[in-house]
Amino acid sequence: MKKRLSLRFDGFDVLKWIIYLFFFVFLIIPLFSILLVSFTGEPVNLFGSLTNEKILSSTLKKLSNVSVEAYTSIFTGGSGYFEALVNSLKLGVGVALLVTIVVLPIAYAFARTKMPFKPFFAAICTIPLIMPTFISSYAFVLMFGKTGWVNHIYQALGGEGVLFDVQSMMGIVLVQVFFFFPYALWPMVAAFKICDVTLEEASQNLGAKSWYTFMRVTLPLAMPGIISSMLLIFTVSFSDFGTPIILAPKDLNLIVVEAYREIAGFFNWAGSAVLTIIMLIVAAFFFWLQRMVIKGKEYGTISGKPTKQKLNDHKGAVSVLTAYTALVMLVPLLAVGSVFLSSVATTWGHHALPDGYTLDHYKTIFSTSGKNIMNSMLLAGGTLVISVIISTFVSYFVVRRGASGLDFVSSIPLIVPGIALGIALIQTFNTAPLHLTGTALLLIIAYTIRRMPYMIRSTMSSMMAIRKDIEEAAVSLGASSLVAAITVIGPLMLPGIAAGAILVFVTVIKEASISILLAPTDWAPMSLAVFQNLLRGEYYTACAMAILIIVIVVILQALAKKITKDQLY
Amino acid sequence: MGSVRIEHLNKVFNGNTALEDVNLEIREGEFFALLGPSGCGKTTTMRCVAGFETPTSGKIYIGDKDVSNIPANQRNCGMVFQSYALFPHLSVFENVAYSLNIRRFYQGGMGTKIATLAHLLNSKLGKLDRETEKKVRDSLDFVELGHLADRLPGQLSGGQQQRVALARALVMEPAVLLMDEPLSNLDKKLRNVMRVTIRQIQQKVGITTIFVTHDQEEAMSMADRVAVMHGGKLVQVDTPTALYSNPVSRFVADFVGSSNILQGSVKETNDVGETLIEIGGNRLLRSSFPAKKKDVEVIIRPESVRLFTGDATDSTDNILDGTIELSTYLGPTIRYDVKVGDLQFEVDTIFEAGNPLLEPGTKVKLEIDPSRVVII
Ligand SMILES: Nc1ncnc2c1ncn2[C@@H]1O[C@H](COP(=O)(O)OP(=O)(O)O)[C@@H](O)[C@H]1O
Ligand SMILES: [Mg+2]
Repeated sequence: MKKRLSLRFDGFDVLKWIIYLFFFVFLIIPLFSILLVSFTGEPVNLFGSLTNEKILSSTLKKLSNVSVEAYTSIFTGGSGYFEALVNSLKLGVGVALLVTIVVLPIAYAFARTKMPFKPFFAAICTIPLIMPTFISSYAFVLMFGKTGWVNHIYQALGGEGVLFDVQSMMGIVLVQVFFFFPYALWPMVAAFKICDVTLEEASQNLGAKSWYTFMRVTLPLAMPGIISSMLLIFTVSFSDFGTPIILAPKDLNLIVVEAYREIAGFFNWAGSAVLTIIMLIVAAFFFWLQRMVIKGKEYGTISGKPTKQKLNDHKGAVSVLTAYTALVMLVPLLAVGSVFLSSVATTWGHHALPDGYTLDHYKTIFSTSGKNIMNSMLLAGGTLVISVIISTFVSYFVVRRGASGLDFVSSIPLIVPGIALGIALIQTFNTAPLHLTGTALLLIIAYTIRRMPYMIRSTMSSMMAIRKDIEEAAVSLGASSLVAAITVIGPLMLPGIAAGAILVFVTVIKEASISILLAPTDWAPMSLAVFQNLLRGEYYTACAMAILIIVIVVILQALAKKITKDQLY
Repeated sequence: MGSVRIEHLNKVFNGNTALEDVNLEIREGEFFALLGPSGCGKTTTMRCVAGFETPTSGKIYIGDKDVSNIPANQRNCGMVFQSYALFPHLSVFENVAYSLNIRRFYQGGMGTKIATLAHLLNSKLGKLDRETEKKVRDSLDFVELGHLADRLPGQLSGGQQQRVALARALVMEPAVLLMDEPLSNLDKKLRNVMRVTIRQIQQKVGITTIFVTHDQEEAMSMADRVAVMHGGKLVQVDTPTALYSNPVSRFVADFVGSSNILQGSVKETNDVGETLIEIGGNRLLRSSFPAKKKDVEVIIRPESVRLFTGDATDSTDNILDGTIELSTYLGPTIRYDVKVGDLQFEVDTIFEAGNPLLEPGTKVKLEIDPSRVVII
């Protein structure tokens, strides 16, 4: 059978190619060009090479000079890159292990025991997810810094100096453990829930003690879920920028901070390119590992029989687990509390409590930082619009027309740390013909790409819930597929789109790495304002702004949740 | 309105042949059923007509127009889906109005386009014109759902949803109405009601209809003509009565109702054109059908056999002697399994009050009218 080349383009084909083009220009080319830079050691202008002969010849000349020197020099030392990589790996591994240990009992308590206050604990678990990490880090400074209130209490109890040095690897690890654990908690709860209870019962019927059953049956069954969330935590910790930028001391090299300094401080393209590529490779590898672990296991949750599980109500075990859970949850709670106290304090640091209370900081941010708030709203709004359009159509193409290529391309951002994406974009759009670095547009595009996989996941699931024959019915009634998509599929997907869109808005508002790296001064969003205030020592206004961000995020997230719950049909 | 002509239709799905050289001519105003077991290609045939599948080869005409290259939305085929595929977010009224709005959207000027699109996206926006409003009302009244116009589809019963789907398809005055197993989601009682309803509506509108089903009773009771499909091919296209009394193959005979199927060999053709066939144990049967070869299959419907006891007749014309092995009471009829030598017969008789069931072991005679002994 011969395939004829169809030249009949409908509106959809055009749209599909536009979306491909978007990802190609703003994701593939930047990553590719940063790869080239890592070999040439000099910036290359790929778009310029297409339009200008001179640039092309200079690019070709640079390409003839490729060397792996930049990579080998990592190991020969001097640059400190190797140290940075090792430190980052240590950090990721340490945090992943610690989080797993900390969360295991909590996950078990949630999934398998009659622990009281579950909804309350679950609500607290959202705190870490709504707080940008650099704010959480500053909260830790407020608590454990030299003048932190925890240390005041510690000294009052007879302690000497500080409990620990918060500006250290230790501080970074602790912040990440207490603020990333929810990423691992819910997958682990799920893993415990889907374990085949009949096996456990069999074990207990054979006379095994509960503890033995847990170690030899329950835990091994939940293992894939546990390992997968461990790998996820590693990637999150490895790519996190907010914590180290606040807490890393000068002598602690971490790859994200190093890459940021190379680009923002020294405009060292070669160095930042190499670091970017290394980050990408590590993140991609662990992402791949995680996929391998959960491969084929995801469906267990869907197809598995919802067996009624008997919840453990052993009094002693439940009270120990409850106390432990409460203790862990207390840390993020106190962190938010500290930021809030600081935002209403006249001054704070001489005693465990602020010296006085005032609302001046809020007045200040509304009078002097009104523009940042506005910027955040506009940037988030712009990102939301582009994200909604692209992700809706991508899910349509993937679900309805089997465009697996788009599925793949649009999930690439999952493995690109924010800093890496930022550096790649800056490098590529630094000069004509597409001189976008320093514009709000590039910022919006960066946010869009970074959030795309999550947005698509949300639109895709509502797309899959719409039967194909609904669309065919619209077509048989006279609508072209495009009109059918707009008039029928669109409205049906609306709840999913709306919920996803709000979450995009939220992430943009709390996004740190992209904002810090890419935002031009005119367009500084709230998160950047907080960051700059912290750098300038305006701690109280920074805290007031942080509280504002948290409040906005909480409201929007509640709204998203309500929309998803209120699905009409 | 229009006839439908399908010529040499072939459809291959990644190397699997779903349709093989299907040729059909469906007359204007005809109620035409596609009947066959699951997977035989009924849906594919219909989707090719609707334009949802592109034939691997072959042509499709609606009226006199070759529609093979016309996109689905311009073929003017009204479709009723197995799941009804009503738009869950639109009221019954807006569901039915959809095709009219779409037409207005395509045909109107810029202002109308924008107003109609707004209305399609949110039915509170933009007003419908009088004519559309009236058409929708009329067609809802036609299916007796006028009082439910403001409900959402989710608030209707299965039968009501079915009628909305019909009204929605009919309001656009399509050239052809296509229905894919439209009754399979209803319970048995409602199914029987809807059979009549659909048939009546089709008659009133006089629309050419293609009706896909795997249920022979449905096809036989509703359709003017039935096409029996098997393994991607058409086996027989005929009126229900012809299909029943004169199946062209064992498959058709079996599919459109239970049959006694016997192996036989042709002995001779007598002077009145009847065929004499020898079946198991040197018994002879006369049939008014001509035989084309020597070894044939003989099909006899259970109700074509007259069963009696003793010597109620002395005729020896096409009569077999047998013994009852099993009697089954089926309500209005009684099914007897009768052993005739090595052969096994199923015989249906009308149950008459007062006549007792014949016990197994009873000697009986079976009389078969030659015109109902079908030779394949
Ligand atoms: N989209 C498709 N892709 C691949 N095979 C298909 C597709 N649709 C139908 N088929 C195959 O074509 C054959 C006929 O299917 P269908 O027309 O749906 O049968 P019916 O409606 O009679 O049950 C089946 O073997 C089915 O598996
Ligand atoms: Mg079918």
